[in-house]
Amino acid sequence: MSKKTLLNSLLSGVLVALLCGCSDRGSDVPRLNWYVYAERSGAFAEAARRCSDGAGGRYEISLAPLPADADQQREQLVRRLAAGDEDIDLIGMDVIWTAEFGEAGWVLPWHGASAGEARAGRLASAVESVTYEGQLWAIPFTTNTQLLWYRTDRVPSPPATWDQMIDMAEALGEVGTIQAQGERYEGLTVFFVSLLASAGGAVLEADGQRVSLEAGPTASALAVMRRLANSPAADPSLANAREDQARLAFESGASSFMLNYTYVWPSAWANAPEVARHMGWARWPAVFEDSPSRVTLGGINLGIGAHSRHPAFAFEAAACIASEENQRLAATRGGLPPTIAALYDDDAVRETFPFADVLRDTLRDAVQRPQTPLYADVSLAITRTLHPMRAVDPEADAARLRTAVERALRSEGLL
Amino acid sequence: MAGTGSAGRMERLFWGVGSAIVVLYALIPVAWLLSLSLKPGADLGDRRFVPQAVSLEHYVAVFDDPQFPAALWNSAGIAGISTVAAVLLGMFAAYAIVRLQFPGRNLMLAAALSVAMFPPVSIIGPLFNLWRTLGLYDTWAGLILPYMTFTLPLAIWTLAAFFREIPWDLERAARVDGATPLQAFVHVIVPLAAPGVFTAAILVFMFAWNDFLFAISLTSTSDARTVPAAIAFFTGSSLFELPTGAIAAASVVVTVPVIIVVLLFQRRIVAGLTAGAVKG
Amino acid sequence: MSFRDSAEHRLAWLLCAPAVIAMLLVTAYPMLYSLWLSLFRYDLRFPDERQFVGLHNYITVLSAPTWWQSLFNTALITVGSVAVELVLGFIIALVMHRALVGRRTVRTAVLVPYGIITVVAAMSWRFAFDPTTGFVNGLLGLEGAWLADRWTAFAVIILTEIWKTTPFMALLLLGGLTLVPEDLLRAARVDGANAVQRFFRIVLPLMRPVIMVALLFRTLDAFRIFDTVFVLTRGAQGTEPVSVIGYNTLITRLNLGLGSAVSVLIFLCVLAIAALYIKGFGIDLSRREDD
Repeated sequence: MSKKTLLNSLLSGVLVALLCGCSDRGSDVPRLNWYVYAERSGAFAEAARRCSDGAGGRYEISLAPLPADADQQREQLVRRLAAGDEDIDLIGMDVIWTAEFGEAGWVLPWHGASAGEARAGRLASAVESVTYEGQLWAIPFTTNTQLLWYRTDRVPSPPATWDQMIDMAEALGEVGTIQAQGERYEGLTVFFVSLLASAGGAVLEADGQRVSLEAGPTASALAVMRRLANSPAADPSLANAREDQARLAFESGASSFMLNYTYVWPSAWANAPEVARHMGWARWPAVFEDSPSRVTLGGINLGIGAHSRHPAFAFEAAACIASEENQRLAATRGGLPPTIAALYDDDAVRETFPFADVLRDTLRDAVQRPQTPLYADVSLAITRTLHPMRAVDPEADAARLRTAVERALRSEGLL
Repeated sequence: MAGTGSAGRMERLFWGVGSAIVVLYALIPVAWLLSLSLKPGADLGDRRFVPQAVSLEHYVAVFDDPQFPAALWNSAGIAGISTVAAVLLGMFAAYAIVRLQFPGRNLMLAAALSVAMFPPVSIIGPLFNLWRTLGLYDTWAGLILPYMTFTLPLAIWTLAAFFREIPWDLERAARVDGATPLQAFVHVIVPLAAPGVFTAAILVFMFAWNDFLFAISLTSTSDARTVPAAIAFFTGSSLFELPTGAIAAASVVVTVPVIIVVLLFQRRIVAGLTAGAVKG
Repeated sequence: MSFRDSAEHRLAWLLCAPAVIAMLLVTAYPMLYSLWLSLFRYDLRFPDERQFVGLHNYITVLSAPTWWQSLFNTALITVGSVAVELVLGFIIALVMHRALVGRRTVRTAVLVPYGIITVVAAMSWRFAFDPTTGFVNGLLGLEGAWLADRWTAFAVIILTEIWKTTPFMALLLLGGLTLVPEDLLRAARVDGANAVQRFFRIVLPLMRPVIMVALLFRTLDAFRIFDTVFVLTRGAQGTEPVSVIGYNTLITRLNLGLGSAVSVLIFLCVLAIAALYIKGFGIDLSRREDD
């Protein structure tokens, strides 16, 4: 090909590209922006692509990335939603934002037929996580919860209660460390709420307006925290540990127990196969022998931005993304547990999650974190009172906690 | 400046050793960052300083991410323009403050200072709303203006402190000696002002290059997102996993332009006064 | 006023105008808006329940033990890091100034820490000090968790700050060193003054304006430290500085009224510090050379 021809084809190529670019910009297909964190495996992108294709040209879904950290996601979203941003159509909502976003009018409620779709086939606890004041504010998409992971080569059978686990860990000596999350952040609230619920208590009353924190269960929960943090089996940096530190420490082989989310399973197989070979799972330890443990729920729900220009399309798109097919994809490719109950019997899902049954049982008994628009204040109050865990005094701190949460509910004072 | 014989050698040795210590002190954590970026994912938890196995997977991952090259371009442009603008405006203002008599001189300095004193976290919210109204949200100008604004106080005060020490009579002397005003300015004043100008330029550039708060709050797409903000979007293979390797790799990459800028500018920060220049 | 004077005024204002306009445009509205907001009770989640409360927010903040505790923490971090940075900065500036071999390398290497994104630097130090996976404990053969105890956590925070921002000091001081005429030093040496005398009698006094600018801005920045502490401890273990309080109130709790009050109070504190510096140093930058 002569130089001139090459130049010509290059130029025409550029021209065509430019024109195509121009025509795309002028295209009339409404674009729905789905604001969610950049999910690495591409499962979300694939789901969005599938649903755009299935829309028959009426709309297309495009992913708008959010920061990886949940707090930063919330910061970005709140700022823009409060300013009436019309670009936000679909939101990947953390479960703890439901009450806050709903109360402030930043997301649209799911009524009638869409509410039915949002509930269809889903785990009860997942539906509860999108409910506030009797309305549904999002459609459950994926969920998450913690399990107990332990070294099968050091622990013959998993412990049933916290006291048993701490005893076992202490007996194992050097390698008997228990990995948990004790930094002053949301993970500490998760830990406390789980312990409290396992002990039979709750942070707020059913109406979400008044503090519950019954004396008995609260004291038991705090006692477990104190025992764990002061035990020789606790990781020395417990007061500074998040999920990832716990994972890394467990993968280094120096620990025998870990309370963590399901992501540690594929991670161990990828990064530390010698540890993964001896990794077993069980339900979270209970506080009392006779009542099963209750763990808090996490996950991503899909909400519709209140100022979206195409709400009808957005509801439809959200329902499609959260449908069974795409949940299976998110589970098998992205490692995100589904919210549709039937999928826990699905072969592909069970292959990704060998612990599917334990997971489903845990999710069945899962507890919600306090569902109040002032959740951020409540969580801050809890973490500030209870951190560091080794300094917890079950009697005194139960009272301090009650005061702190009461003030948080009134959004009063500095926290 | 070096003396003769053993005294000079001792002095050179002293400063040489001092330099080595200083360089080590500055670079060890950077080396740690580099090491983190070269460790394969599975080794991130080992306690070793030097990686056992070297892997470029993090750098590949970082450049595969479509956001990152765009962020580099945004960073370069925004930081560059902010630096030029801040130093220019700062020079004018500093010159006026030092050389000219006018009412409100002190007020100007005080106002410049108070701009730099307000907690940024409070500025973000209203600025966000203002920018949305003005259409500056998610644009280069939307970041250049705050960067310029928050570095102007430092630029003005620094330049004023340097300009104050310049013997402006030298310019007059040079003109007496027959130079044109422009020649006098370029050959006498500019070399004396250079250290101050380039010091201010380096500081402004670093602020604009590394700022995180404004970048993440005032941008929403790769139209204007800079590298520090883009790093906040990196996810590990799960939401809980901190992509340490990728973050380390991105940070190493983003430090390279800083090194280049410093290498170029630091040459100008040398003593401007030489023997015989001061008359009387 | 003579014609020449007013021409000078006009020129001066012309030269200052662009800077003033830029600064006003960007910060006047946000600052005034914050001031305004601080007089209200305003929670972003309940936008309809906004109400005027006058100075109530300020009273809330000033009567909270948390505020005073964090003020102490902030002061500790500020004094600790700035004091060390001044000394270290001088040493480094002298090295940068005098180094003959590899001068380019030294100067560039020294400025690299300042060029690293604060959040990343804090993260890498956090990683380094992690008891199980970091290299510090591995190197020193220790087992303790640095960030789990208040005073060691302060040490790590101050160390990270010092490492990161000493170059700022060093750079400004280096610039200041270039202002000291070589001949003066040579003459003094000929006259028999030793290095220490030369330093304290000649170099330091000539560098006073630059030292003041460096100290002033460094202190202002240190007082508003946020990223480093947030990443290292989240403000736990009694290391919480005032900016974390501001962040928690404004961004986490969306309590704009209270958060704005916190910000205004931080501003007033910083203002007081700046006034102290300027008075203390007694430098008038606007004094002309031949006055």
